[in-house]
Amino acid sequence: MSNEHTVKSYEEELQYLKDSVIKMGSLTESQMVDSIDAVIKVDKDSIDKIIKSDDEINKFRSKIDTQIMNLLVKRAPMAIDLRETISSLKISQDLERIGDLSKSNAKKVKPLPIDLPEELVGNLKRLGDLVIKQLNDVLDSYINKNFDKAKEVWEKDEQVDDLTYIAMESVIDFLSKDKKNLDFSTHLIFVTKNLERAGDHITNIAEIVCFLIKGEYLKGSRPKGKVIKE
Amino acid sequence: MSDIKIKSKNLNVYYGDKQALFDVNLDLNEKEVTALIGPSGCGKSTFIRCINRMNDVIDICKVTGNIEIDGIEINDSNLDVVSLRERVGMVFQKPNPFPKSIYDNISYGPKIHGKGETKNELDEIVEKSLKKAALWEEVKDRLNEPGTGLSGGQQQRLCIARAISVNPEVILMDEPCSALDPIATAKIEELIDELKKTYTIVIVTHSMAQAVRVSQKTGFFHLGKIIEVGKTEKIFKNPDNKMTQDYITGRFG
Repeated sequence: MSNEHTVKSYEEELQYLKDSVIKMGSLTESQMVDSIDAVIKVDKDSIDKIIKSDDEINKFRSKIDTQIMNLLVKRAPMAIDLRETISSLKISQDLERIGDLSKSNAKKVKPLPIDLPEELVGNLKRLGDLVIKQLNDVLDSYINKNFDKAKEVWEKDEQVDDLTYIAMESVIDFLSKDKKNLDFSTHLIFVTKNLERAGDHITNIAEIVCFLIKGEYLKGSRPKGKVIKE
Repeated sequence: MSDIKIKSKNLNVYYGDKQALFDVNLDLNEKEVTALIGPSGCGKSTFIRCINRMNDVIDICKVTGNIEIDGIEINDSNLDVVSLRERVGMVFQKPNPFPKSIYDNISYGPKIHGKGETKNELDEIVEKSLKKAALWEEVKDRLNEPGTGLSGGQQQRLCIARAISVNPEVILMDEPCSALDPIATAKIEELIDELKKTYTIVIVTHSMAQAVRVSQKTGFFHLGKIIEVGKTEKIFKNPDNKMTQDYITGRFG
């Protein structure tokens, strides 16, 4: 018994959809790497490029929407194909939101002073690196249909929470030292919060990948780290 | 959980030397719609034909194993097949009204089963059956016209009304919509939804979407064996068996 559809074009349409999600994921990932790098290095020259790359990601989102609508109308997918289609829709929504958050972070670079305190930069970098790794891992789990890896990402969001807490503390600490820091500290608070939000979207994707593979959602609520009071 | 209305145990069917069903064990719940799916020749029609012993009319057909309705074995040679078929009605792929008036199509069954003694009683049965089959409004002014003059979808509803007229407990439907257009199909499906409040329904269908829409339970047949049975939602979202998955996603069949 073959694993291919009797209708070859259906098989191709599904593959094309998966490819689109993977491409969108890789664009989102490099945009995130660039935006975190821009914040850490206070690299104001790269801002425009990062903002522009968000247009590309948004275009993918609408392209994927169209592909999904066509698939639903033409093929009425069932079982694994249905889960694949619905998962693509949901993952592309989360990727788009992650793209928005990276874009927002890039915009925050402009008012930052070039000489940010080392400790603060270090804490932000650790958080940024972890979020990048999480995004990379979750996309990997999607491509290779690896349930364990997706679940690992889901569990690891706890660490994102912890590092967010630490980064936020060092921003507040910096702010409290001198009121002149107020302006750009506010921007850094947003950057930190945006990274935490990106982490949440990555966790969503991990949940979707688990659903895609096993057909049921992960039970219970994910482990949570230190939470910043809103 | 509903009660089990029909229970098949180790059911085997042979057409001459050829075995068509292999040890089929399947429970059908009361007042629920069960959809049977599977590639052509997999035994789903053979199975439903066992439920009202339609296979009796085929000389070379041999049935072993059990089918119980309400706990009573129906393959018993002492069982009155006519009264069994009164309890278990059937609707076929192609609408097949009698070459008689709409009225006579419905009243024929009750008459021969002695259910309508007077003209008034029969009138009542005809109206009630046509109403239940959602056809009354369309035909009430032309009950004496031939049933064969109706559209395909109306003819099929007429056949359903005819099946209902003797007040059965079970209705078997063998691809009831395969000859109908989408609107007529939608009407039949809506009707099935209504009928399941009163009857136990078994439907054979080649349309996966239809199985999802109308049934609560689905059974997948392949080469005369039942491969997977379960809640319809589960079967179409996340089946346990790879063969079921391959069939419903169109990878073989």
